[in-house]
Amino acid sequence: MANNKMLIKFFIASESIFFVMLILAYINFHGSNVEGPNAVNSLNPLRTGIFSLFLLASSLSVWLAGRSLVTKNHFMMKIWILVTIILGAVFIYGQASEWLGLIAQNITISRNVFGSTFFTLTGFHGFHVCVGLLMLSILLGLAMFGDFKGPKSDGVECVSIYWHFVDGVWIVVYSVIYLWAFL
Amino acid sequence: MEKLGGLFNPSSPEMEAMADLTFYIIAISIGILAIIVVAVTYIIIRYRKNPNDNSEPYQNFGDLRLEIVWTLIPIAIVAVLFQLTCSTMRAVDPPIQDHETDIVIIGHQWWWEIYYPKSGVITANEVHMPVGKNLLLRIESIDVIHDFWVPELARKIDAVPGHPNHMWISASKPGVYLGACSEFCGTQHANMRIRVIAETEDEFNEWQKQEFVIPKTPRAGIAGEGAELFKTKACMNCHTILGTPAAARIGPNLTHLNKRQTIGAGVLTNSTENLTKWLTNPQKYKHGALMPNMKLTQSEVNQLVAYLEALN
Amino acid sequence: MSTRIPIVPENVKPLPALKENEGMLTWVASIDHKQIGIMYIIVSMIYFLIGGLEALLIRTQLAQPENAFLSPEVFNQMFTMHGTTMIFFVVMPLLIGMGVYLVPLMIGARDMAFPRLNALSFWLVVFGGILLYYSFFTQSGASEVGWFAYAPLSEKPFSLNKGPTYWALGLLATGIGSIASGLNNIVTILTLRTAGMTMRRLPLFVWMILVTSFLIIFVFPIIASAFSMMLLDRLLGATFFTPAHGGSAILWQHFFWGFGHPEVYILVLPAFGIISEVIPVFSRKPIYGYEFIAGSTVAIGLLSLGVWAHHMFAVGLGNVANVYFALASMLIAIPTGIKILNWIATMWGGKIWFATPMLFATAFIIEFVIGGLTGVAIASVPIDWVVTDSYFIVAHFHYVLFGGSIFAIFAGVYYWFPKFSGRMLSETIGKWHFWLTVVGFNMTFFIQHFLGVMGMPRRVYTYHDFPYWGSMNMISTIGAFVLAISVIIFMWNVRYSLKHGKKAPDNPWNAWTLEWATTSPPAVHNFDLVPPVRGRRPLWDLAHPDNPDEPNAKIV
Ligand code: HEA
Ligand code: HEA
Ligand code: HEC
Ligand code: CUA
Ligand SMILES: [Cu+2]
Repeated sequence: MANNKMLIKFFIASESIFFVMLILAYINFHGSNVEGPNAVNSLNPLRTGIFSLFLLASSLSVWLAGRSLVTKNHFMMKIWILVTIILGAVFIYGQASEWLGLIAQNITISRNVFGSTFFTLTGFHGFHVCVGLLMLSILLGLAMFGDFKGPKSDGVECVSIYWHFVDGVWIVVYSVIYLWAFL
Repeated sequence: MEKLGGLFNPSSPEMEAMADLTFYIIAISIGILAIIVVAVTYIIIRYRKNPNDNSEPYQNFGDLRLEIVWTLIPIAIVAVLFQLTCSTMRAVDPPIQDHETDIVIIGHQWWWEIYYPKSGVITANEVHMPVGKNLLLRIESIDVIHDFWVPELARKIDAVPGHPNHMWISASKPGVYLGACSEFCGTQHANMRIRVIAETEDEFNEWQKQEFVIPKTPRAGIAGEGAELFKTKACMNCHTILGTPAAARIGPNLTHLNKRQTIGAGVLTNSTENLTKWLTNPQKYKHGALMPNMKLTQSEVNQLVAYLEALN
Repeated sequence: MSTRIPIVPENVKPLPALKENEGMLTWVASIDHKQIGIMYIIVSMIYFLIGGLEALLIRTQLAQPENAFLSPEVFNQMFTMHGTTMIFFVVMPLLIGMGVYLVPLMIGARDMAFPRLNALSFWLVVFGGILLYYSFFTQSGASEVGWFAYAPLSEKPFSLNKGPTYWALGLLATGIGSIASGLNNIVTILTLRTAGMTMRRLPLFVWMILVTSFLIIFVFPIIASAFSMMLLDRLLGATFFTPAHGGSAILWQHFFWGFGHPEVYILVLPAFGIISEVIPVFSRKPIYGYEFIAGSTVAIGLLSLGVWAHHMFAVGLGNVANVYFALASMLIAIPTGIKILNWIATMWGGKIWFATPMLFATAFIIEFVIGGLTGVAIASVPIDWVVTDSYFIVAHFHYVLFGGSIFAIFAGVYYWFPKFSGRMLSETIGKWHFWLTVVGFNMTFFIQHFLGVMGMPRRVYTYHDFPYWGSMNMISTIGAFVLAISVIIFMWNVRYSLKHGKKAPDNPWNAWTLEWATTSPPAVHNFDLVPPVRGRRPLWDLAHPDNPDEPNAKIV
């Protein structure tokens, strides 16, 4: 049925608005000269950039999983889903350690507007990555039990659309938070 | 007949412009409404179904020309309304340029602090101003959003914390104009009233001069005891009285309280009796106000009242 | 009757619906769109009584100057909960519920595209309402910061009670439910139409639900993110909306109204849809200017996204912004006017049967135009500078919300009740209900225009005894009680007619859309056979083979 894919696409349209608002909140306060921590003096764009590459790569691997589905290569599909999960997990690990590092320096959500907007935006994105990881794991589990013989599966395709979306959001978030600060 | 207030009694050139605009727009609206009502009434009378007639009427699906007509006419009306809007805006809200602020109005939860930057006078809840002059107000807030509204004199504008606003105000004839906070600001939003006292230039200057006088602190009698109490009963943690160490801004400045007409931003008229009531238990008259019930004894209250009234 | 073709092939797969009758269990476990629709309607009616009761308490307190019936805290909770309830738990779920019930029937489908998601939406709304009302039982009661919860008043230092937290959580849950139902509606309408039901033949009610659903999925995320930030502020000490810590009070307003203004069109577009169904049927004519009504709906939907700051003319955004938002707001008068005039043109030349649904629809036109015209008046910035946050605004939005949405909903309930229940509502009681509503409604709210321009701010629990204020408020209060009587009469009508009402035939009003082609009430699977759709009025075409709407249409 085409319904499921249509649903996920409109859902993503709706979700994009959600992120646009969080990003607008970040931009709104970007100009205000806050005391204390801000993007320039507290973030490490290089380190986060490297972890971002893992997330970007995972978009590729999930696409390859989809290709394997079409060619009915069940084994490679499982492998690529697994690779995607690992890459996504590495990204989440990077984000978690970044957060812990900031919190150790007493840069928290309640410190100032930079803290509030930064943690909220990256937090909601991280939450979406985690949801994606959960869904990928379910896919992997189901695939282990023999589901998704191909060449088509709404389940795999929808999760993959969602995963690309999460990835795309990160590109914007990374540019706004990390790159913009150093322009 | 008693006078209707608000837009029915515009008392400044700006408000007259706004009343005119309202009049035009309401007239146009009534015209549009009348056309619709007449059409519907005509339909009700003319096209009511005859219970014995079961035939179907002519099936008419629409007409492009008519649609165009009734798209264009509202566009024209909107153009007129928009033009009226813009010209009135220009009249009511001219640019500030380098005009200096005449009065600063600071909203506090449930009372107004009023400050005259040119003279340094500070008072509360009652704005004195000379008639016939266009004054520039700066509206600020110390806590939540309030809104300064004196319906007969001027537009309203929000007092937004962290975002000072400006507006013009003027009064064409002397008198007392009542207003109120018009943005919901918490428990006692209803009792956050404003009084504008428009007076002649001379009267205004006289008032301002008196506000300047630093009253002598009474040393003896019950007023003297009241002065002591004011320091010991924590009043000075919240209030200012010139010429004493009391200099806090949490509550209204009490230096010239006895020249004000009301207490508690309009909940009580200012009299010895009411001041006594207020000090006995402000919460009874303005439930939720940020001045706690100080649990004073009757004699303490009397002493404080005597003190506050002796300030001159 | 001529040919009937079987239901859309792709949908013949048996749906995971419950069997016809499993007793009480269907009330919790059902995923049948009709059952869920009815449940939406029942729940909203209960909330209507609660919200109305709150309104009566408000009006009782305001009946005379310096009244001491309610304490300020209770009064403030009352109007906050009244506004929130009426908007999010009465009008929205009523309209969504009617949509959920009718859309599949009107497009000739078996159910929504995602029946389980549909049930989830409903239960999220119920859950949100429970969260909201639970706040009354917390330590210092429900939220008392108004239905738009302006920061920083709604923030920690100024609202220490838990009210606003529950308020935001409840609305967040409801909002997610609404997004889900919006998505569901869109996919249903786009994919499950029966053969021949092209977009240009879609009943207008379905069109309006479609546009509304798009608005829902695009604007609820705005408020969901704003609520998230507000909750982070309140629970974790973030500083988005606290100016004292570098946040911005105005940002909240942009977010809230960025959602809030489209929201009011979410509340009225389906109501327009109801009117567009009722008026033609009772005038015995097709809708006049179908394309223009559908097209103007899309125009309203788009315009409504760009006018939010007309709620912020007094904030001090600068006159460039003010002028832009004034113009954009006024422009909405044009597509709305197109609709009004097309409805009147539909009635023109008809043979109108003034049954109760039609009475409400006719009154709707007048009441809504009054509200719309005051809307245009306050879109004129200087007028708004005078009357914003006064009773003039209260009058404006009750005219559009009650005189608009609620009147249309009553029209719809009288119109579809036979389909929902298999019984007719009593016409005699219906007429009483109608006239008392018209009298009570105008008595309550018309006078408030004058109170507003005379200087009465809204959201005040008490007022001084200024000339005429007392008597004008008293009139308004009496009107509210007349309305209360009319609501009780309506409830009585429903109760009475469910038991003793006339049995309803399949098509009691001789209407033309597909929901009338099946039994009243419809079977679980909706249709045995769907008549061919060869025009906008399939049942007209069946009844008038000699004079079909689209003579050249092919049988599919
Ligand atoms: C169903 C809900 C609904 C609808 C449909 C509308 C419709 C409109 N509203 Fe209203 N509005 C509210 C619900 C609604 N509103 C609510 C709830 C609030 C208050 C929120 C709060 O503060 O609590 C509010 C507040 C509100 C304000 C802010 C007031 C303030 O707080 O200061 C403004 C200002 O511009 C406004 C304008 C309009 C306009 C221009 C329309 C237009 O869409 C109206 C268009 C319709 C017509 C004009 C009538 C028909 C047209 C014709 C017959 C054609 C000819 C007419 C002309 C050419 C003029 N509304
Ligand atoms: C669709 C929306 C809607 C509807 C239908 C109504 C309906 C009514 N409203 Fe509402 N109102 C709002 C939306 C709505 N309102 C909003 C958004 C606000 C702004 C809130 C804010 O400022 O934050 C508001 C604010 C508001 C105020 C201003 C409060 C203030 O600013 O201080 C007033 C005052 O008169 C008022 C009155 C009424 C009345 C009398 C009705 C009547 O029409 C109600 C009729 C219904 C009944 C009378 C029910 C009868 C029920 C019984 C008799 C039985 C009860 C029994 C049991 C529960 C078992 N409303
Ligand atoms: C915790 C702070 C606080 C303390 C302590 C306090 N006040 Fe107040 N007072 C206020 C506030 C706030 C108001 C304004 C109340 C309002 O109108 O909402 C006020 C108002 C008043 C007024 C009315 C002023 C006016 O112009 O309306 C008087 C008089 C007054 N206080 C006297 C006293 C005296 C005397 C004491 C000591 C016994 C005292 N206050 C202690 C905070 C305080
Ligand atoms: Cu201050 Cu309302
Ligand atoms: Cu609006």
